[in-house]
Amino acid sequence: MPKRTTPSIERPERTQVLWLTLLLLAAYVPLAPHLAWQISAFVALLFAWRIAAIRWPALIPGAWGLVVLTLIGVANALSTYEGWSGQSAGAALFVSMLVLKLMELRRKEDLRLATTLIGFLAVVQFLFDQSPWLAVYLGAVAVAGLALLVDLNGGLGDTPGRAAMGIAVRVSVQAIPLTLVLFLLFPRLSAPLWHLGTDPRKGTTGISGTLEPGAISELVLNGELAFRVRFETPPPDANQLYWRGPVLWQTDGRRWSAGAEAMAAGPAGALQDASRPIRYELTLEPTDQRWLFALDRPVSVPEGAFLTPDHRLLARHPISTPRRYRMLSALRYRTALPDRAGREAGLQIPDNVTHRMRRLAEDWRSQADNDWDLVELGLRFFNREAFHYTLLAPRLGSNPADEFLFETRRGFCEHYASSFAILMRLAGIPSRVVLGYLGGEPNPVGGYHMVRQSDAHAWVEVLIEDRGWVRVDPTAAVDPSRVDNGSASRMLGSGASVRFTLEQNDAIARLARNLRLLADSLDAAWQDWVLGFSMEDQLSLLKWLRLGGAREYGLAALLLVAFSLTLSIVLLVSLRDRPRVDPLEAEYARLCRRLARVGLERRPNEGPWNYGSRVRAQRPDLAPTVDRFLRLYVPARYGRGCDPEIHRALMSLVRGFRPGVDKGARPDC
Amino acid sequence: MWRSSSPKALSSLFRRVPRGLNGVARVGRRQVYILPTRSGLSFAAVLLVMLLGSLNFQNNLGLLFTFFLASVGLVAMHHTWFNLLGISIRVRGGPPVFAGGEASFDVVIGSDGQRTRFDIRVPARRVSQQSIAVPGGDQRTIRVGLPAARRGLQALDELTVETRYPLHLFRAWCYAETDATTLVYPKPAEQAPEPDRAAGDNQRCALQGRLGTDDYLGPRAYRNGDSPRQIDWKAFARERGLVVKQFGGEEGEDVWIDWSKVTAPDAEARISLLTRQLLDAGEARARFGLRLPGIEEGLGRGRAHLQRCLARLALYDHAQANDPLDRAS
Repeated sequence: MPKRTTPSIERPERTQVLWLTLLLLAAYVPLAPHLAWQISAFVALLFAWRIAAIRWPALIPGAWGLVVLTLIGVANALSTYEGWSGQSAGAALFVSMLVLKLMELRRKEDLRLATTLIGFLAVVQFLFDQSPWLAVYLGAVAVAGLALLVDLNGGLGDTPGRAAMGIAVRVSVQAIPLTLVLFLLFPRLSAPLWHLGTDPRKGTTGISGTLEPGAISELVLNGELAFRVRFETPPPDANQLYWRGPVLWQTDGRRWSAGAEAMAAGPAGALQDASRPIRYELTLEPTDQRWLFALDRPVSVPEGAFLTPDHRLLARHPISTPRRYRMLSALRYRTALPDRAGREAGLQIPDNVTHRMRRLAEDWRSQADNDWDLVELGLRFFNREAFHYTLLAPRLGSNPADEFLFETRRGFCEHYASSFAILMRLAGIPSRVVLGYLGGEPNPVGGYHMVRQSDAHAWVEVLIEDRGWVRVDPTAAVDPSRVDNGSASRMLGSGASVRFTLEQNDAIARLARNLRLLADSLDAAWQDWVLGFSMEDQLSLLKWLRLGGAREYGLAALLLVAFSLTLSIVLLVSLRDRPRVDPLEAEYARLCRRLARVGLERRPNEGPWNYGSRVRAQRPDLAPTVDRFLRLYVPARYGRGCDPEIHRALMSLVRGFRPGVDKGARPDC
Repeated sequence: MWRSSSPKALSSLFRRVPRGLNGVARVGRRQVYILPTRSGLSFAAVLLVMLLGSLNFQNNLGLLFTFFLASVGLVAMHHTWFNLLGISIRVRGGPPVFAGGEASFDVVIGSDGQRTRFDIRVPARRVSQQSIAVPGGDQRTIRVGLPAARRGLQALDELTVETRYPLHLFRAWCYAETDATTLVYPKPAEQAPEPDRAAGDNQRCALQGRLGTDDYLGPRAYRNGDSPRQIDWKAFARERGLVVKQFGGEEGEDVWIDWSKVTAPDAEARISLLTRQLLDAGEARARFGLRLPGIEEGLGRGRAHLQRCLARLALYDHAQANDPLDRAS
């Protein structure tokens, strides 16, 4: 192939190279925290090199230099991530190669390709972060990239920079309606076609499957959102909002875990007397765990999940993306009684139970008439004795239950739930620990409840004859005067849960809270309408349009129709080239129309002066205005050219000119 | 590659923009062609990867972004097409050139509406040299050069007007009809024998004799056939090379440049020699005339006369041995 020479029109300008480099840098910056530092180091080196090379073009590496740099880039990405698989490794490799492309910008074609790939870089980032701010930021980067494409194309007249920006913005605005139509109606996949391998997630916060002293009080310090709930029936009181998660049966005296029995799949015991179910929709943030949180006892089961015998909702796959599901729950119910194995699992006692714990339980047993009496005795014990509810619990040794009950008496919900459950078992009442969330902050702006990690909670369920498993919250028994609100407000700030009463008299604090609520409702809307928009939503849209029966075909047909319709409207409104009308000409035409209305039509052979003199002869009353008009119009139109002053004068003359029909015969007024 | 337009046989199948009575061609809807460029194809390929990836990872934000870029591409396609629609094209032939040089044409692009037409290009030999913006209600000129291979009237047989506005993803173009021509003078020979000063006209008037020949006009480089008497030997002695002293004057010599007085292997070579003689005569400020079989351009002087004679030679049809200019008039 003969060597082609680049025509001068295809050679990139320096400013264009600089523009591309800066754009790529801008697109990379938000991705950097998600990648290893070695990748950023390589990228930063190349950026610095490129910018230096704009000043000193001799620094551009030759073909061999490029090969070496490419090998270094590949080796760097591969060694950092130990292989190809995973989104981070793929993104790292792609970014390294894209930045290398900066070293090889000989033709405008190269710049165009690199600019297009910036769009790909943006989409790659959305795998890591889907916040609205990032979307807006990368949208702006994309529009700037379009402006670069316009500028690269050239032929923009005297002010190419401004023209390019204007054109890019105009094209983008015109593309928005089409984008929305495509987004609403383009068919989605319900399951992925392939897996690139998933990354080990870096510390997703949330409730884990076990309970140890200090586990929840650590979690509570985290103000992150756990899930949002939109109630369709009136919401229950805040102290009734127990969101059930994992159920723990087994303990070694320090650590609670699920236990083998609990995992055994089996039909869930039906609830009896479940009345007044509560209907709501819950959007769960990713947890990388399988459990789905539900208000106290779930009655319905969402798609892709099942109910275990101890009424936990489990998804079939770990939740790695936000998951929205509609639920039906009962707050008043009676569960079926468990079989023998279930009862025994609830009575298992750890080895390190001390003598005084046993004595306390036996003491209660001797005082109580029945099991429920005994439970109430236990709760009263927590209320009467000097138990403190605090986030700042002292560290406990190898036998935390004993130490907490008889020595420190300061603890958080995990201490209360754990020791209470052990005491109940010692007294012969089957019990288990339940993890989940309590409460939730209503967001009046968005009309939903926010449940945060700081609402994480642990409580106990005991088995009472005739009533089944009954929820008991020993934490709630603590005397309110011994709740350590100070530590909570210091450590949780305004995001504290309902268990603490915090003063919020401060106007600034209230304002901050309202702003926070507003920001969260925007985030929720984003979550609902953009990130969570799915095939189901599309089908319900179809149903709303009474096309529900057609399903996917209806969707495709609707997409085609709506898309072409939108496109034609956009083109009609924005792309038609209107004929250029001289402003003076337009005023003259208006004057003629006004005169024509009173029967003085301009004849095709009449020039302005002739026409004027005829008007003057026929209607002397109109003569002054017409004369004044013509004396301004004729020299401006045929003589020294239009000046905005004259145009304005003519406009006001015509506007005030309402010739009436002569001799009082007025057709309309 | 499709960038290069199709061979002539094929391009005759394309619709051309017809010329109105006033010589202006206005681009209509059915005359605008459009295809994606190479950048457009790579843009589409990247979008496809983005679409598949976003669908697969069920990443709605990625989808939204992909749809946005796809919509931008689609809107841009219409911009490209509309950018050419309705422009007016007028072509004027440029000044005459000698064969072997470059014949130029002025293509005047007008935008009658309110919109500015950006990135209008007129490729010559499939390469655009220049890209212009035509503001609404205004017009701009692009000069196109074509190699002038042969003498005569050089026509612009294929005029393409193209645009890749706004994003260079699509190329829209149209073929315009034009009959603009540029006159191409014959290529002058390197050197030609001095025409016989007296040979042409035996009845040369004595008045016009050699009255003014002693007026020194200036030096000129030596050409084969110059009389040794005219060589500036003093300059030669000063090692300034062979220089000829030119004499002439207001009345100068009368020179007839005559077809029959030149010997050459074929007609074109003869015309080429005659051209050189004409140029030399013009340079020497002599009165000169041109005689071709069937045509005679009388004695005269000055640029206009020289151009008239060159045009005679450029358009001379030796097979017919008569003069196309006369025939036309």
